[in-house]
Amino acid sequence: MVHPPPKTPSKRVRCRSDAKTPLTPSNKKSSQPVGVIRKGGVESRLDVVTCDYVPPPPKHELKRSKSTPGRDRFITNRDTTDIAAVAASLEQMSLNTQSSPNHTARLAVATGVPVNRRILGYHEQPPAASSSDNTLAQQREYAKPLYAQRPGALPSSTGAITSKARKIPTQPERVLDAPGMVDDFYLNLLSWSCQNAVAVALEASTYIWKADTGSVVLLGEAPEGAYVSSVDFSNDGAFLGVGLGMGDVELWDVESGQKLRTMAGHVGQVATLSWHQHILSSGCADGSIWHHDVRISRHKVMELLGHSGEICGLKWRSDGELLASGGNDNVVNIWDGRVGDVNESTRGSAKWTKRNHTAAVKAVAWCPWQPSLLASGGGTNDATLNVWNSTTGARLHTHRTPSQITSIQWATQRKEILTTHGYPTNSLMIHAYPSMERVAEIRDAHDSRVLFSCVGPGGDVVCTGGGDENLKFWRVWDSKSGEGSTGKKKKASAANTEEVGGGRLNSTREGILSIR
Amino acid sequence: MATKQANRQAITLKGSSALVTEFFKYAANTILFQREVYPSDDFHMVKKYGQTVLVTQDLALENYLERILSQVHKWLLTGSVTQLVLAIISKDTRTPLERWVFDVKLVEPPADASTTRESKPEAEIQSEIRAILKQIVSMVTYLPVIQEPTVFNILAYTNESADVPAGEWVDTDPLAIEASKSQQVKMRSFSTDVHRIEAMVAYRYEE
Repeated sequence: MVHPPPKTPSKRVRCRSDAKTPLTPSNKKSSQPVGVIRKGGVESRLDVVTCDYVPPPPKHELKRSKSTPGRDRFITNRDTTDIAAVAASLEQMSLNTQSSPNHTARLAVATGVPVNRRILGYHEQPPAASSSDNTLAQQREYAKPLYAQRPGALPSSTGAITSKARKIPTQPERVLDAPGMVDDFYLNLLSWSCQNAVAVALEASTYIWKADTGSVVLLGEAPEGAYVSSVDFSNDGAFLGVGLGMGDVELWDVESGQKLRTMAGHVGQVATLSWHQHILSSGCADGSIWHHDVRISRHKVMELLGHSGEICGLKWRSDGELLASGGNDNVVNIWDGRVGDVNESTRGSAKWTKRNHTAAVKAVAWCPWQPSLLASGGGTNDATLNVWNSTTGARLHTHRTPSQITSIQWATQRKEILTTHGYPTNSLMIHAYPSMERVAEIRDAHDSRVLFSCVGPGGDVVCTGGGDENLKFWRVWDSKSGEGSTGKKKKASAANTEEVGGGRLNSTREGILSIR
Repeated sequence: MATKQANRQAITLKGSSALVTEFFKYAANTILFQREVYPSDDFHMVKKYGQTVLVTQDLALENYLERILSQVHKWLLTGSVTQLVLAIISKDTRTPLERWVFDVKLVEPPADASTTRESKPEAEIQSEIRAILKQIVSMVTYLPVIQEPTVFNILAYTNESADVPAGEWVDTDPLAIEASKSQQVKMRSFSTDVHRIEAMVAYRYEE
């Protein structure tokens, strides 16, 4: 018999169960005729099935996907993964490097990674950089500091870092044009006297710029064919010592602008001078240091021999007990300051000789508030700031800076050291003293390397001279507010601003005052 | 006809191997320059693939690369090299810092259509190579800056059956970077009629 399409067995089963519930479960068969009678339709009557197949109650199946044969339960995508990828990850796990060969072999079998692959390396190590050219390697070593990245500086930043505790101006208060200033690391062409006058040597000419009035005076010219290689004011600011490239040392009266005398004798360039009272000490290119007594005709009273290279840094301690010198032979010497007659026995020998620097030492400075401290800084290859105890000879601190140190100044009012630097940072840096922490850094203080520096008599303004033929004045150690201790300089600069006028009131503006 | 066909194939393999070898030379030079394994003034500019590529002038390094690449070329001809790796290693600690991986795959010619398949134009291959070299250069922007001095090492992954010149090439450590500290970047690929080169760089990256 043919069932009409709606009469699916499933429907019938449902019918049965529907009918079943209100009735007692006594007889299964009795339910069927009841259902049929109830419907009462012709079609249904025709469709009477008495002994239809009752499907067994559906088995409650577990809802679990059948695992397909050939699949790995742990590496689910084994059949899709490229063998090479597995191999790569195996290798990434660096199994090969850490386990025994036996283990590796077992592992390789277990994971199905082909072992018939070899990793080969060339038996030779690659050549070291510039191994084929020794001179080139050497030159590279020398030039290395110049290639050094300016540490911590983004190319876009201005590179000025100042202390948060106090404001340190990153712009100079004043800029003076110094045309013809010789761009030479070894010279010392800048000095600031206690009478508030700045002496600067521009090739053969020496100029005095009076900070009180802003006036510029041409003090004098070096003899024909010579150039000035160093200047230094005497302690009272009345006299100026001028060292010449041919070896003469001149003595000038600042007030009258007269040359008082010429002290000859040196055979080489006098690159540095330092005064103590009536003694003018000069450092020469041949490595000798002479003490000149400017009062007497036989001026040379002592000779100090202890350097094999040109003297480029020379500083008397303020009490005249000790003299510090630095030379192109990378040596720092500390000499006893007592001066005797010049004969064989009094030829001085250094009290301390320090050979820690690895480049020329131009920057030497005595601490004004703790007389035993001497700071020295090395050139390009060294770029290290060392602080020495001149009593014990110990090196108390050493601090590496990013570029060559061209000069050092101690703060008079604070426990700080200012260093000036050459390429690549061309910066002024201020370091806190015992900690050697960087208080401030003014990058690119000059367009070229900063060569010379000196502190004003007030101790608050630093004047720097650079290879860009500028003198810049920085008020880095401004007196603490409420104190009038450095009033002299302040008054001076105020007076000066009035005097010269014209756009120099704003300290950040470059008021270019031609020094000529 | 059959011999002619085989003949052409042989030339293509040869030409393709030369091309791939040359690519490795410039890629290696670019990596060594960009990652500053050698000082930058050792390199000079050369016009190649229609752009300037920096190539070392250091004779020792030049010869070293030449010796390696000539062997790679031989392996390419026999199809026994599967991967080339340029590993950059810290000079002091010898830890691998970067692995520049070049997968070499042989492109199987379609079984029947090989006669009709036209060869890939040279210009297209060159532009693909150019793209990879440019990508190596641009990688520098996001690869970690290496502060320490580095050396490099070239590894060749070969078949077991490869002819290995005794004493010149030795089995070595894969110089792998630990998986937990490694980041990988897939780069572009290029293909000739015979080879397909896929480039990838893995670098050490630790938080």
